Amino acid sequence: MSIQSPESLAHAAAVRDAAEPPSTRSIATRPPERRPRARGRQLLRLLRALSRNGKAVAGLVILLVFVALALAAPLLFPGDPSRIGSGGATPPSAEHLLGTTAKGQDVLALTIWGARSSLLVGFVAGVLSTIVGIVVGLTSAFFGKRVDDALSLVTNVFLLIPGLPLLVLLAAFLPAGLGTVIAVLVITGWAGSARVLRAQGMSIRGKDYVGAAITSGERPLRIMLREMLPNMASIVMTTLLACVIGAIGAQAGLEFLGLGDANTLSWGTNLFWASSDGALMIGQWWIFVPSGLAIALVAFALALCNYAVDEVTNPRLRRPRTARSATAPTTVARKEDAR
Amino acid sequence: MTLPIRRRAVTVLGIGAAAAIALSGCTASGTGAGSGEAMLTIPREDMGTFSQNFNPFSPTAAPMTQQAIYESMLVYNPANGETVPWLAESWETSADGLTQTFDLRDDVSWSDGEAFTADDVVFTFGLQRELLGGFDYLADVQAVDDDTVQFTLASAFSPALFELGQQILVPEHVWAQQDDPANFENPEPVGTGPYTEVSNFQAQSFDLLPNPDYWQDDAQHIAGIRMLAFAGNDGANLAAINGDVDWAPQYIPNIQTAFIDRDPEQRHYWFPPTGAMINWQLNTTLPMFSDARVRQALSMALDREQIVDVGMSGYTTAADCTGLSGAYDAWRDDAIVDACDWTTLDLDAAGALLDEAGYVAGADGQRTTPDGQPFAFDISVGSTSSDWLSVANIIAQNLGELGIEASVDSPDWASVVAGYETGEFETGIVWSAAAPTPYQFYRNVMSTESVKPVGEQTFDNYHRFGTPEADALLADFAAASDGAGQSAAIDGLQQLFADEAPVVPLFSGPEWGAYTTERFTGWPTEDDPYATLSTRAPTTVLVLTTLQPVEG
Amino acid sequence: MRFILRRIGFYLLAFWVSITLNFLLPRLMPGDPVTRMLSRSQQRLEPQQIEALQQMLGVNGGPWWQEYPDYLRRVLTGDFGVSISRFPTPVTEVIAQQLPWTLLLGGVSLVIAVVLGNLLGILAAWRRGGLLDSVAPPLLVFIGSFPYFWLAMGALYLFGVMLGWAPLRHAFSVGLTPSWDPTFIGDVAAHLVLPALSIVLVSIGGWMLGMRNTMIATNAEDYILMAEAKGLSPSRIMLRYGARNALLPSVTSIGMSIGFIVGGALLTEVVFAYPGVGYQLLAAVQGLDYPLMQGLFLTITAAVLLANLLVDLVYVRLDPRVRVA
Repeated sequence: MSIQSPESLAHAAAVRDAAEPPSTRSIATRPPERRPRARGRQLLRLLRALSRNGKAVAGLVILLVFVALALAAPLLFPGDPSRIGSGGATPPSAEHLLGTTAKGQDVLALTIWGARSSLLVGFVAGVLSTIVGIVVGLTSAFFGKRVDDALSLVTNVFLLIPGLPLLVLLAAFLPAGLGTVIAVLVITGWAGSARVLRAQGMSIRGKDYVGAAITSGERPLRIMLREMLPNMASIVMTTLLACVIGAIGAQAGLEFLGLGDANTLSWGTNLFWASSDGALMIGQWWIFVPSGLAIALVAFALALCNYAVDEVTNPRLRRPRTARSATAPTTVARKEDAR
Repeated sequence: MTLPIRRRAVTVLGIGAAAAIALSGCTASGTGAGSGEAMLTIPREDMGTFSQNFNPFSPTAAPMTQQAIYESMLVYNPANGETVPWLAESWETSADGLTQTFDLRDDVSWSDGEAFTADDVVFTFGLQRELLGGFDYLADVQAVDDDTVQFTLASAFSPALFELGQQILVPEHVWAQQDDPANFENPEPVGTGPYTEVSNFQAQSFDLLPNPDYWQDDAQHIAGIRMLAFAGNDGANLAAINGDVDWAPQYIPNIQTAFIDRDPEQRHYWFPPTGAMINWQLNTTLPMFSDARVRQALSMALDREQIVDVGMSGYTTAADCTGLSGAYDAWRDDAIVDACDWTTLDLDAAGALLDEAGYVAGADGQRTTPDGQPFAFDISVGSTSSDWLSVANIIAQNLGELGIEASVDSPDWASVVAGYETGEFETGIVWSAAAPTPYQFYRNVMSTESVKPVGEQTFDNYHRFGTPEADALLADFAAASDGAGQSAAIDGLQQLFADEAPVVPLFSGPEWGAYTTERFTGWPTEDDPYATLSTRAPTTVLVLTTLQPVEG
Repeated sequence: MRFILRRIGFYLLAFWVSITLNFLLPRLMPGDPVTRMLSRSQQRLEPQQIEALQQMLGVNGGPWWQEYPDYLRRVLTGDFGVSISRFPTPVTEVIAQQLPWTLLLGGVSLVIAVVLGNLLGILAAWRRGGLLDSVAPPLLVFIGSFPYFWLAMGALYLFGVMLGWAPLRHAFSVGLTPSWDPTFIGDVAAHLVLPALSIVLVSIGGWMLGMRNTMIATNAEDYILMAEAKGLSPSRIMLRYGARNALLPSVTSIGMSIGFIVGGALLTEVVFAYPGVGYQLLAAVQGLDYPLMQGLFLTITAAVLLANLLVDLVYVRLDPRVRVA
């Protein structure tokens, strides 16, 4: 999962590019909104619909809990959580709810403090990747022709170069640190979102209201930001969520391999230390489980939101074809095939 | 749509899956051989894969090249301070200290049957100096006769005995034919060692079988040595814990619970503190670290007990003011140790010393340097050494209590060492020289000849401290022809170290080693320290020629 | 044919970009990699070796337009130089030893995940709202949310150490010599179980959901309705009419997923000390073995590109519309 990045989104678009088979029309790229005047309202409607979606609410609640815990870390566990104490590793007890590490650090404190950097890196890298994706995708879609050819080529090349090996190579060459981790994640993560956003942008570019804006002499930047982008809210959101999932996982992977900055306190470094202290070997599961579970829960929550966005915007997934399964729990879209 | 083709594609996928599932349905097969013919299995934790390179001059030679395949004239054992004659029966130093004569055994032959002679020794030293340099003090090496080799030194240098005696020896008849000996992979090595025959070489493991012409009777009790490759401690430790290896020479965290407790009868460990001293070095070219009082005060602020307990899992002993590791217990002057206090935690005394030196605390508790800057610096340590990283964190924590702001800087080792070498660092954790005598240690931390200006690359004395007094004492030691003279010089150096604190010694590097008696017995122990449990030391061959398989 | 040629051209271009990236990285990096490397390994190399290294890494100080063609020529002739951590073995030799194991691990995991995932997806979509459809997707997505290495370590500890069901490390038992006899093949298979399991666990959810959703879309097609109207048996409709058409996007996904499998294999190999290219890549990074790192990266990239080309070829056979386009 460390490599489940937005690239996965893109192969749906790849299918379409290669063949455009009508019977298998991919769901990731859905028809754009038809109302040219709706602009900013699409996002609002999307959010309103999401608030009534069980999955979205569940995912959001999990996320908010983690964000709240991360923000409250200094209040919950004042002092330096990685401060080395004595006493060695102790199993969970009333005093230390999740036990302590071999260095006498409270595991719960480490996990909650670790959320800060993990979530920060995940969201910053995710947002930056998406922004790069939007810029490249929209430019590509708006200008078309040569610009599109060139940008698509670069995007496809970056999509194909295997992410984690490139990540490892970059991390090996650049000095360790949070900035490096974020930069490296953006470099390896933007292409997937660019691919999807370009495909979506292309179809909006063909709409009459965009054509009208061009004829009326509006500046390209304004058209892209005011006319096109607002109508892509849902796809931008799914892209963003996928990018964040990818970034959090990739950061953990890098740090686990010892390629991150061992002094930052994050879930990945917690696992790195758990492993280098041999926690699992001697059955000290309480050191090993919390950070891994936290990563999984956050990724799961983001995935839930992602599926919810899909359901809300894609009626076919919501309504089963036949009545026999009217009570079917609606699930998921093809967001993450082929990690 | 072309249905037939699709069907084919789907069928192929189906067969693949079925095969894969069938494959993965197989049961695990047991590892490890039974007793009797069992191979002595040893993990190597820092080589992810092996290359069939048994060139002893190559830094990437396969493990055991220098321990089981090639041998030296003598073996120095730091665990008990004894010197074991090996390919040489005896040796003699001339009264003026300028000649070293080794009497070689006459019953030694190479594993291809050729006799081992003094010419091989002469050839090896020529090759060693050509390929890797060193031995600059040697004026000449001569074969007096087949079994006698004589070294002439340019000037008296008493540590030479061990350096010359522990040089790995290679056969002239093989190596003289190599056009490019530095790059010679030597896949089928010819050596004098007990286990020279390479067998079943794989990237993940290889075996060494007994040398058919070994010179010692009754020394090859084991069927062979089996090395396993691991890219990190994790895998190697798992192998040890699971009982897949007989000898685990790597760091095992929580060894008591993780390893011993699973079979307390058979499993044992012994971590003698006979490795090199691990130091916290302060760049003495910086004004704040040029004052011996500051260096001593910083040392007094350290909780070495916690460092040893938490950072090193309690596996070693804390340093004292002589800076000597456990390998040099015989040289240690207890009077100096007792009289000195700057390696004992004492925050008040440390604070007083800093106040005296002008590093006073402000209203916020933070200390400033005499010119008003905050007293703050980095502690460099390589990111891959997780144990030392913990040590650095504890140091930073300890100093915080004294009002000093130390932050841990941990890029990869390459950039850390690059900074050390050019003198562009503030403080850092560093190893020290390991040699049979303390001469090298003291030369590297205190001699003026080893000091290079900042910006110029050096491979020792990173902290750039030198004093002429040390030079004089080191010269005395080199020229001393007897033990008494050497001791006197080393006593002087210990006192000088205690006065100057050129580096802040932390703890002796332990010689890691754990083993199980399930398949082999006769391991060195604290009660019988005939060698250490290292698999990379000159003493390894002593263990290899002592171990006995368990009968049955 | 034009489609294929276009794709081949594209892959060649992608390969050129990765070669160039490889050329640029050491030059963009702060400091001189050769100095860093030598300081780390503490080894003394002959001046001509240092020069050769600098040339391989493109840092010998000459202007890039002189070094670059030279670098390209060496890469294209398969000359990646000599490995530092396994000196003096050539990089190509090291890679040749490791690559088959990654291909085996990646291939087996991919096939199991694809086949099993798609089957589950077909069943879930067909019995929409059934037990499988309601339990499996959230469960698999949750399992898939764990980091590869975390699952791998968990599996290693649980099945390897605690239960002793599977070997703990390496690609085959120590002491065996690779051959084609059944004992050895069985041994290799046993060593494959846990590494492959962790990759399959993480990736299977994606395949299942992808297939399920495409199936749902396909089931809405008129020809399915037509088949139902004709009174064909449900299983026949499901497999012959629904699944067969829904499989198409899965084929494209295979191409995309190869890169991810390689990444997953990297982390899994590290946990299981499985002697593949990912394990070697990490060892090379730890040993600052830049020539080996670059060689491995290019090999992995080339393998992924090649696999994608193969998928494209298969796709052309499966979907005639591409040929016309």
